[in-house]
Amino acid sequence: MRAALQQLRISLTLHYRNKMALIYGYLFPLVFLLAFYVLYRHERVVLARHMGELLTVSVLGGACFGLPTTMVSERERGVWRRYRLAPISTALLVLSVVVARYLILITAGLLQIAVALAMGMPWPQHPFDLWIVFTFVSFAFIGLGLVMAMMADNVPAVQALGQCIFLPMLIIGGIAVPLASLPDWAQHLSQFFPGRYAVQALQACVAGPGLGTIRFDLLALLIIGTGGTIAGAKMFRWDSQQRFARRSGNAWVSVALISWLLVGTLAEYRGRLAASARLAPEQARQTAPGSGTAPAVTTPPSTETNATDDRHATPKSITLSDAEKKAAGRSTQPSISPPNSSSTAPKQTARAEKTPPATTAVPEKPSAKTDTPAHPTVASWQAVTLADIERDLVFDRLPSDSGIVTPIAPDEEDPDPDTADHLRYIQEMLPSWQPGKVSDPVQRVRNMLYVAAVRTWSSCPSNALLRRQCSISCNRTFRRIS
Amino acid sequence: MPKVIVQDLQKRYDDVLAAQGVSFEVEDGEIFGLLGPNGSGKTTTLECVIGLRQPETGRIEVCGIDARQHPKAVKEKVGAVLQTIALQDKITPREALTLFASFYKRAAAVSGLIERFALGEKADAPFDSLSAGQRQRLAVALAFVNDPELIFLDEPTTGLDPQSRRDLHAEIVKMKRDGHTVLLTTHNIDEAEQLCDRIAIIDSGRIIASGPPRDLIAASSSAQNVLLRTATAIERDWLAQIPGIEDLTCDNATITFRTTTPGAALAALMQIVHERGVEVVELHARKARLEDVFLALTSEQPPQ
Repeated sequence: MRAALQQLRISLTLHYRNKMALIYGYLFPLVFLLAFYVLYRHERVVLARHMGELLTVSVLGGACFGLPTTMVSERERGVWRRYRLAPISTALLVLSVVVARYLILITAGLLQIAVALAMGMPWPQHPFDLWIVFTFVSFAFIGLGLVMAMMADNVPAVQALGQCIFLPMLIIGGIAVPLASLPDWAQHLSQFFPGRYAVQALQACVAGPGLGTIRFDLLALLIIGTGGTIAGAKMFRWDSQQRFARRSGNAWVSVALISWLLVGTLAEYRGRLAASARLAPEQARQTAPGSGTAPAVTTPPSTETNATDDRHATPKSITLSDAEKKAAGRSTQPSISPPNSSSTAPKQTARAEKTPPATTAVPEKPSAKTDTPAHPTVASWQAVTLADIERDLVFDRLPSDSGIVTPIAPDEEDPDPDTADHLRYIQEMLPSWQPGKVSDPVQRVRNMLYVAAVRTWSSCPSNALLRRQCSISCNRTFRRIS
Repeated sequence: MPKVIVQDLQKRYDDVLAAQGVSFEVEDGEIFGLLGPNGSGKTTTLECVIGLRQPETGRIEVCGIDARQHPKAVKEKVGAVLQTIALQDKITPREALTLFASFYKRAAAVSGLIERFALGEKADAPFDSLSAGQRQRLAVALAFVNDPELIFLDEPTTGLDPQSRRDLHAEIVKMKRDGHTVLLTTHNIDEAEQLCDRIAIIDSGRIIASGPPRDLIAASSSAQNVLLRTATAIERDWLAQIPGIEDLTCDNATITFRTTTPGAALAALMQIVHERGVEVVELHARKARLEDVFLALTSEQPPQ
C-alpha cells in the first residue's frame, strides 16, 4: 500500500509539472466549453444542456490520449523496466495509474463545472449523482485508455489509435453531434460506443432526473470499463522491446471488444422490448373511442381527415420544391400532417420505432408510465380542469429528452443566403396554412408547434429560424387567448 | 555458498540464440565480470538473472533462492544498474529514491544515500537537468535503496568521462569492501582486469573461458610480444636469421613478432640493427595481456 500511495503521489506530482499535460488535461476541455457556449449562445441555459457532452469530451481526451501517452512514453523511456527490477506487482502499478488518472479527470471535470457555473450555468440538479456517474464514465474510458496503451508501441501510435477512437466517438458516438441528427444506422452504431451512455448519464445528473433513469447507462459503462481494465491488465507490457504484434496474450483485447458488443447488443434488445412495451398500450388506447387529446406525429402518407371539421382540420401536405429539398438536405419529400386528436400520446412512426429509446425521448421505463391507470378523458381542452393538470402534468414523469434540444433562433439572427429562400417560403405559406388558422386556439398552437417539430427538417440549416417563426405565430395566438 | 548459480541458461530471440548453455557461479563477496564483445549475450544473461527476461531453460539461483520460481523474493535482495538510466524527466533524485524505497520491505535512509553518492546539490533538481555522471550516481544510489546483498551492474561506465569512470570504479571497489557481491558486465578489458576477482569471457552466447584474469593470461600463452620502431626502414630479409620468432610483421619502420626465447631473439635483433646502422626509436617486450587473451579466444569462435 505504501508503494501504491508513493507511486500515486509521484504520478500526480509529475503530471502537474508537465505543461503539455496541463494544457491537454485542463485547458483543452475549457476550449470545448467555450466552443459550446459560443455555438449555442442563443440558448439561455445552454451549458446545463450540454454538460454531458462537455464532461464526456474531457474524460475521453484525458483517458484516451493523456493516459496512454503518459504510459507509453514512460515505457518507451525504460522507466517501467526500471520499476520491474523492484518487487512491485503489475496490479499495483496499474491500480496507481488508474487512480491517478481518475483524480486528474475529476479535477478537470470540477474545473470545467466551475467555469461553466461562472458563465451562468445553473447548479447541477444532482451533484452527488453526478460524481457517481463521473466515476463510472472515468472507469469506462480509463479501461479503454489502458487497452490503447498496451496496443500502441510508441507515442505516435497512441495518437493514431486515439484519433481512430476519438473522432468516431465524437461524430457518430453521440458525444459532439446530437443523436437525433444522426441517421438510423449511426444511432444504432452509437449504442456500441461508451460515449453515448456517458453523455446520457452525465446529462441526467446535471439537468435531468438523476440516477433513477440511467441504470442501463451505468451498467453499460461498468461493462465497458471492466472489459477494458481486464484486457489492459492482462496485456500489460513493462518493456518497449516487447512489441505488441510479437507478444503473446494479445487475444485479451477481444475482452474489451466483447464488452462493447455486449453493451450494444443489450441496448438493441432492450430498445426492441421497450418499443413493443410502448406500442401495446398505445394500440389499446387507439382502439378506444374518443380517447385523448395529444398530437400524433406521422410521416407520409398523410392521415385522412375531415376538412370540414375545424377542430380536426388537416392541412394539405406541404411539399417542398426541389430547391427547398436541396436546402433541407433531404432527397425525400417530407409532408406534414397535423396533430390527430384521436390519439392519446405521441405515436412513433415506423422509423421512430426502430430508433433507440433514448434518442426518441422515450421514458426509461415506458411500461411503468404507460401502464398507469387511464384517467378519464375529456372531449376538449376547455374541459380540462386544474386538478387534471396537477394530476397528469408531473414534470418528473415526463419522458427524458436525452439532451435533445431544438433551439429557437434569437431575434437578431438573420438567415444566411443559402437558407433565406427556404425560410421565406415557409413564412409565406404559414399564415395561409389551414391548420394554423383553426378556430380552436389550443389546437392552432399545437399545429404550429408541430410544424416546428417536424423530424424530417431536423437537419435543415434554417430550422432554428423556422422555429422562431412558429414561435411568433404561437405567441400571437396566446396573446389573443389572454 | 555461491551468491549466484547459473546453469545451462538458454535464451532465444526469434532465430538467434543469445545465450546457449551459459553456466557460471559468483562467490560471496567477490566482483565477478562477464566480459564479451557487443552482442555476445552478456546483457541477456544478466537480464535473465535479474528477472527482466524469461529464459527458455536453465537454473538460476540467487542468494539461495530459485530466481525463476520466486522472482519477487530475489528482487528484495538485489540491486541493479541497467545500461540506460531511465527515469521521468521531471522527477528529482530525492523523489526517485523515496519512491523506489517504498517498493521494498527493507529500505536504506534516503538522506544517507544522497550524501553517500554526492547528490546533495542536485537532490531536488529534475532528472533532465542532471549530468551523465550525476545520473549514473543516482542510478547506483537507486540500486542501493534496499541495502542489497548483491549488486548487478550492466556496463556501468559506458558513456562516462574519465573522472566519473574513476569515481565509479572506486565505488565498485568500496562495494566489495563493504561486503557486497558484485556481478558486472563490460566490454572494457582494462576495467574487467582492474576490478574483477574473476571473469567469464562470453562470446556468441557461450562462456568460452572463466577464472581470475591472471590465470587466464598465464594459461593463454608464455610467449612475449616484441615491438621495434626504427628511424629508417628495415627489410624483412634481414630478420630471417633471428631464432625462435613467430607471427613476424614488418611494416616499413615497425616490426612485431612473438617469441618464447626473448633473450636470444632480442640479442640477434640488436646485432642486426647495429650492423645495418639503423637508429632504434622504440623497443618493447611484454608478456600477453587480458586483451590478447580475449582477442585470441574470441577470434577462435566460429561465426553464428
